[in-house]
Amino acid sequence: MARAVTPRRKAINTALAWGIGILIFFPILWTILTSFKTEAQAIADPPLFLNFDWTLENYVTVQERSNYFRHFWNSVVISVGSTLIGLLIAVPAAWAMAFVPGRRTKDVLMWMLSTKMLPPVGVLVPIYLIFRDTGLLDSRIGLVIVLTLINLPIIVWMLYTYFREIPGEILEAARMDGAGLRSEILYVLTPMAVPGIASTLLLNIILAWNEAFWTLNLTAANAAPLTAFIASYSSPEGLFYAKLSAASTMAIAPILIMGWFSQKQLVRGLTFGAVK
Amino acid sequence: MATQHSRAAARVMISPAVILLLGWMLIPLGMTLYFSFLRYNLLMPGANPFVGWENYSYFLSDPAFQTAIVNTLLLVLGVLLITVVGGVLIALLLDQPMWGQGIVRILVIAPFFVMPTVSALVWKNMFMNPVNGLFAHLFQALGLAPFDFLAQAPLASIIGIVSWQWLPFATLILLTAMQSLDSEQLEAAEMDGASPLARFFHIVLPHLARAITVVILIQTIFLLSVFAEILVTTNGGPGTASTNLTYLVYAESLLRFDVGTGSAGGVVAIILANIVAIFLMRMIGKNLDA
Repeated sequence: MARAVTPRRKAINTALAWGIGILIFFPILWTILTSFKTEAQAIADPPLFLNFDWTLENYVTVQERSNYFRHFWNSVVISVGSTLIGLLIAVPAAWAMAFVPGRRTKDVLMWMLSTKMLPPVGVLVPIYLIFRDTGLLDSRIGLVIVLTLINLPIIVWMLYTYFREIPGEILEAARMDGAGLRSEILYVLTPMAVPGIASTLLLNIILAWNEAFWTLNLTAANAAPLTAFIASYSSPEGLFYAKLSAASTMAIAPILIMGWFSQKQLVRGLTFGAVK
Repeated sequence: MATQHSRAAARVMISPAVILLLGWMLIPLGMTLYFSFLRYNLLMPGANPFVGWENYSYFLSDPAFQTAIVNTLLLVLGVLLITVVGGVLIALLLDQPMWGQGIVRILVIAPFFVMPTVSALVWKNMFMNPVNGLFAHLFQALGLAPFDFLAQAPLASIIGIVSWQWLPFATLILLTAMQSLDSEQLEAAEMDGASPLARFFHIVLPHLARAITVVILIQTIFLLSVFAEILVTTNGGPGTASTNLTYLVYAESLLRFDVGTGSAGGVVAIILANIVAIFLMRMIGKNLDA
């Protein structure tokens, strides 16, 4: 509802909004800045904002001491892997529910949603014991399985809301023009479905990347993704702010960038289509 | 276009997802329920006798449980209050004409993408640390005594951290809802002489009611399960001052290895979450018909 306002009013709005925006963003900005300081500069009083000697030494140290990229790679494998497998299972399901809705489609959708509302701690003990007995504890495969299952309802729902927007008439038109089922799917539906699938992929990688209940409880040194690796900084030795900041900056940067591209999908995905 | 043939195909396409989720739900749930009636401690191998409701009475009468329930409610309600009120105000502001709206939006939304362990540790060390944190520097500059946030007000500090993480979510959803408001309605009210406050309470807020409800319900689902933020900042302490239900069940199960009691706690957590879930499902279900 952009209405015409006086330039003065617009200037006040701008100043206020930027002030609040910067305030909310400040902890992230501060983390990024601190990652380029030395440890002594990181705790300097009064705090240093831009007037310090920028250094990359923390990034080097973090990698050397703790093999950072192995945890980074764990995060990539777990979040991308669980999302791709999830899509593989969810695309046919959402497709069928959107284009061949039956009497029980709505019930199935609602039931899937209800599994998402199960508090993870309610099944922590059995999952932990099953993982311990099957050797899945502290393995990337184990986490891929769990994250696939906990995000599957969101994937199905998001895809469903996207697919439902594809008009069914277009299929009939293609059929009238003599398209077979194969070319129907390949040339008519797929191009229309790709944007929805892409947004779903993006949002779910973000959710899986930041998941911090199962990743913390089911991993140790081997399969720990960044969420669990960063948690090891909760028992620090000596000065560590700059190193914590460097590790944190690398952990959030890729997701921050992806997240900014997926703002709109975020609303749809996380409200299960209730707000668009 | 739904022929007999396509119906059958549809069923085949849906079944993998349904079977997997059914297994994911029923098997662990059944096991939790089963364990909750056993005396079962991982540190004491041997027989795990059936003990009836003993775990439940032990868990429910534990003073830590009452603290945990109160903390869980305070955490959920505190964060909801801050994020919904803050979210409405910020969304209102962002909906006004201004320069650089897109960039401000990006700045505001950013905390949502920060993983819980990072945001908790950054706040804990670089802001709330009583010696080297920015707040300590600020307090000193103002001539105030240093304040050890996580020791003296652990739960409030965690509420602050979690609110920072969820404020963007509330803002983004409320802003999306606000932008779907018909501006002609507002202009008409303005021409009829309605004050800005009257316009807000009689037009904007009712329009947002649905989005606010969705925000409250979805956040509640996630906030009942806050875990990482507590684990890396206070470990539920000092004592049990910042232990919520999720953390208590974790502590029983994986720190004290008491599978029986932990499972009973898990069942309690499920019941609590279901009460909220029922309301949320109704709202979303209604929308599906529309």
